[in-house]
Amino acid sequence: MRELTYVEALRECMSQEMRENENVFLMGEDIGVYGGAFGVTRGMIEEFGSKRVRNTPISEAGITGSAIGSALTGMQPIVELQFSDFITIAMDQLANQAAKLRYMYGGKGNVPMVLRTPAGSGTGAAAQHSQSLEAWVAHVPGLKVVQPSTAYDAKGLLKAAIDDPNPVIFYEHKLLYKTSSDDVPEESYRIPLGQADVKKEGTDVTIVATSVMVHRALDAAEKLSEEGISVEVIDPRSIVPLDEETIVQSVIKTNRVVVVHEAVKRGGYGAEIASMITESEAFDFLDAPVKRLGASPVPVPYNPELEKAMTPQTDDLIQTCRETLQRT
Amino acid sequence: MAKEVFMPKLSSTMETGTILQWMKNEGDPVEMGEPVFEVMSDKINIEVEAYEEGFMLKKYYNVDDVVPVNTVVGYIGEKEENVPDTPPESTEDSESDAASEPEQNEPAAHGTESSSVRQVERGQIRATPAARRVAREEEVSLSDVTGSGPKQRVQQQDVRDFLQNAPKPPKATPLARKWAEDQNVDLNTVEGSGPVNKIYTKDLSAAQEETVSSEPDRIPVKGVRKVVADRMAESASTVPHVTLNSDVDMTEAIRLRSQIQDKVVEQTGSKLSYTEIIMKAVAAALKRHPSINASLSSDQQEILLHRDINIGLAVATEQGLVVPVVPSAGEKGLTALVKESKQLAADARNQQLNPQQMQGGTFTISNLGMYAVDGFTPIINQPEAAILGVGQMKETPTARNGNVELRPLTTFSLSFDHRIVDGAPAAAFLTELKQMLEAPYELLM
Amino acid sequence: MLKSVELLPEKSSDELIGLLKEMWTIRYFDEKVDEFFAKGMIHGTTHLCVGQEPTASGPCSVLRSDDKITSTHRGHGHCIAKGADINLMMAELFGRSTGYCKGKGGSMHIADVEKGNLGANGIVGGGIPLATGAALTSKMKNQEDVILSYFGDGAANEGSFHESLNLASIWDLPVVFICENNQYGMSGSVKEMVNIEDIAERASSYGIPGVVVDGNDLVEIMNETDKAVQHARQGKGPVLIEAKTYRWKGHSKSDARKYRTREEEQTWKEKDGIKRFRELLIHEEILTEDDAENIRKEAKQNVEEAVQFAEESPEPGLDTLLEDVYA
Repeated sequence: MRELTYVEALRECMSQEMRENENVFLMGEDIGVYGGAFGVTRGMIEEFGSKRVRNTPISEAGITGSAIGSALTGMQPIVELQFSDFITIAMDQLANQAAKLRYMYGGKGNVPMVLRTPAGSGTGAAAQHSQSLEAWVAHVPGLKVVQPSTAYDAKGLLKAAIDDPNPVIFYEHKLLYKTSSDDVPEESYRIPLGQADVKKEGTDVTIVATSVMVHRALDAAEKLSEEGISVEVIDPRSIVPLDEETIVQSVIKTNRVVVVHEAVKRGGYGAEIASMITESEAFDFLDAPVKRLGASPVPVPYNPELEKAMTPQTDDLIQTCRETLQRT
Repeated sequence: MAKEVFMPKLSSTMETGTILQWMKNEGDPVEMGEPVFEVMSDKINIEVEAYEEGFMLKKYYNVDDVVPVNTVVGYIGEKEENVPDTPPESTEDSESDAASEPEQNEPAAHGTESSSVRQVERGQIRATPAARRVAREEEVSLSDVTGSGPKQRVQQQDVRDFLQNAPKPPKATPLARKWAEDQNVDLNTVEGSGPVNKIYTKDLSAAQEETVSSEPDRIPVKGVRKVVADRMAESASTVPHVTLNSDVDMTEAIRLRSQIQDKVVEQTGSKLSYTEIIMKAVAAALKRHPSINASLSSDQQEILLHRDINIGLAVATEQGLVVPVVPSAGEKGLTALVKESKQLAADARNQQLNPQQMQGGTFTISNLGMYAVDGFTPIINQPEAAILGVGQMKETPTARNGNVELRPLTTFSLSFDHRIVDGAPAAAFLTELKQMLEAPYELLM
Repeated sequence: MLKSVELLPEKSSDELIGLLKEMWTIRYFDEKVDEFFAKGMIHGTTHLCVGQEPTASGPCSVLRSDDKITSTHRGHGHCIAKGADINLMMAELFGRSTGYCKGKGGSMHIADVEKGNLGANGIVGGGIPLATGAALTSKMKNQEDVILSYFGDGAANEGSFHESLNLASIWDLPVVFICENNQYGMSGSVKEMVNIEDIAERASSYGIPGVVVDGNDLVEIMNETDKAVQHARQGKGPVLIEAKTYRWKGHSKSDARKYRTREEEQTWKEKDGIKRFRELLIHEEILTEDDAENIRKEAKQNVEEAVQFAEESPEPGLDTLLEDVYA
């Protein structure tokens, strides 16, 4: 098996798809010779040319809407938005057009597009370039929402997203771009959307973590194991559709659960996961309240210490796990 | 339409009832007139019967929950009918009660309190869903389990620990078991000498000789015990008690009893006891001393002199003290008194008294004559004005016509409420009672 | 062929008569819908294009069957002009399962993807980027189909208009943007909301041709659209056409039209494009007065039959609620 970075895995997936499927093409700002804001598309315009790696004006609504129109008429566009914060500018096209066309038109027409975009804080990009707004799009029926946490997952999930006949919002994470997996197959493979991954098995408490939080959860699990606490870490990988069964079965096993994401806790998708758990058959197996960890309800601050304080860190997870187990 | 099942108001003083057991589970079919649940009021245990037929749709309260009267405790109706998830607010139907005791009729007023307070009031237990599931599966009452979680929350492991430590029924021979039951010996405290620690009768006697444990047994103060505790404490702390003692020569009463015993047995099937003779005398004396057949109004502004003479009899039961009432005792002959007293006492011991049988008392007799008790200071059964305590009958050397004779004397102790009556009239009543019992033939007239 | 005026696209007499009938159909369809809404027989809301029939029929008449359109909230006319079945349209307005959207879209979302109608759109300017994207598909797949994107004067102030014109221009996409300037964005007069005489001027900002046409002159509309479509099909990029027209009725139901005078409305009604085209055909002796009257009655009758079809159609089952959210 090869070691590959998250960025390389994404690029490899797109390149393989574009070689195989001429309907797939890229649109985005500075994705040409610049290689994209985070270098994901580096080298692709050289291979595929400017017709299939379409460098666009700074025009998020326009390019997102055009992607929808082209998807509706037979193409499979991949749009890159430089920062996921800019989804707000394209929100009408996503929420009112992409998500609804099929339903509004009585089942006629598909929108097989992928919108790739990096989310998350930790880079000092401050309030307008660091948000995690995945709950916004997850709320809209008709969209699918994916959050890969590793290079391996990124490649397999992106393949599934491209193949999907529905609009998929594909949240990458800036802090994960340089991380790598040592087990990324060279050939194309697909990880079905809606299939969670048990990143680590455990018996005492479940952590459901998304995106970069998966890594903090794994760090916390390692440290807690020194205290004799066995943590199970579940990465949903896609929040729409959500693999409820894997989460529920884990909670039935461990009786305790902490849900963590980088997004602001208030109204975050963790609330949905927590409610799902308490509504499920796992309710009767809960031996402590379902705990949620998320960011403080503030815009992402610039100062690195403030930025860190805003979002859940490994120590917060350790502390919360201890609390839910009353090992304080 | 589903019909509410209410906590009945079984007496004028009943404010809450404790649910002792449910005869029906949710989903069970219910016939009209079938008992649905058993309730304990401040005076009595009673089975509440269904007014409807259908299915038990909902039970809002658990065993041992204390529920205000007129509160909806459940619903009976057709299958699949919708009923509220929480009990609706009580619908007070007694206007007079509502006017005089507004605070007790408005559980809704508690709505402003925090939900945790309300939970505690409803006797709910803080437990995790997992603990509840295990308790349900293992048939453990969560109230028996000590919670180790925050705010004493019962957790799954607590229930498992409880199960682990719960005593398993010890092995014992049938004879040892019977003997232990008769002697009220807890088999768990006995070490068996047989194979797999089986307990033989000889182990029981050995066990009785040694002190098993210095730990006291703990009995919860609830039910009848709680009622007795509250009422006695209230009476002792609010009523200015004065107790007068007088020795009564029972020679003539004994004679009377032996002379009419056969007739009484023939007519009633029961034996005439001194209690009934004393009751007859008390009734006659009360007729002449109406200030003793009295009580204080609930607002304490008036003294009520009762026309009826209704005499309560203190009866010891396994659950505790209850006081069934013989109504209009002043109008009844001895045979009637025998019949009624015996029936009431039996009902009391069998816990079959209905609330009406414990209402309206105007005077109470507490007879400890069967024990080695000479005299005692009985505590008044409020709101009555007085209570008579009766001690054992004892051959006592007594000065009589210049000689010392052995005479059967019984000490009568009359406690009276000094707010209602003074010493002199109480003394006059006791004196009259003594004279009547010492010359009881007058009673027959 | 017409003798008194020049008509660029090849159209037979029957085709010209068909256009007259189509415009009558559009008018009677929306008049009927207006009546039903007024009576409360159908719920929701609707936007009627009475008075704007030529801007629907004219541009669509020069399209090939594989060409596509995107439409607007005021889209019944576009839909009919692109060849929709008015039975299915009326059924959709009635919310019936036989409707174009199985009763789930209603007035503002009628689409007929197979016939190249990529859909009406409830968001002002919402369809313009979609048309641009569809044109991108055409170009990338070398399909040679052209997309006609309808929008109103109000949408010309939306970002999606400007972003799309720019994208279509830099990529030379085969799309014709057709602005039906009916003088009002709801109550907002175009004179108050736009500080230039013609919206078509905005084309110059994006380096594409901009043309103004009389929205009541079917022949002129057909001629200019035909030129624009040829231009786009030849890979020369997009064109912006502005058709000056007028909506005779209010913005939607319950509009008292206090923002304009009855005199102004009367002036525009006198320019009625249907009447003008009818007179042209009679003048050209393609049609007699009687023929014209019969055509009008037929159109009216067709709408009545659509109503009957809709009324007899079943309501959608509640089990269809969750269908078609995802493919």
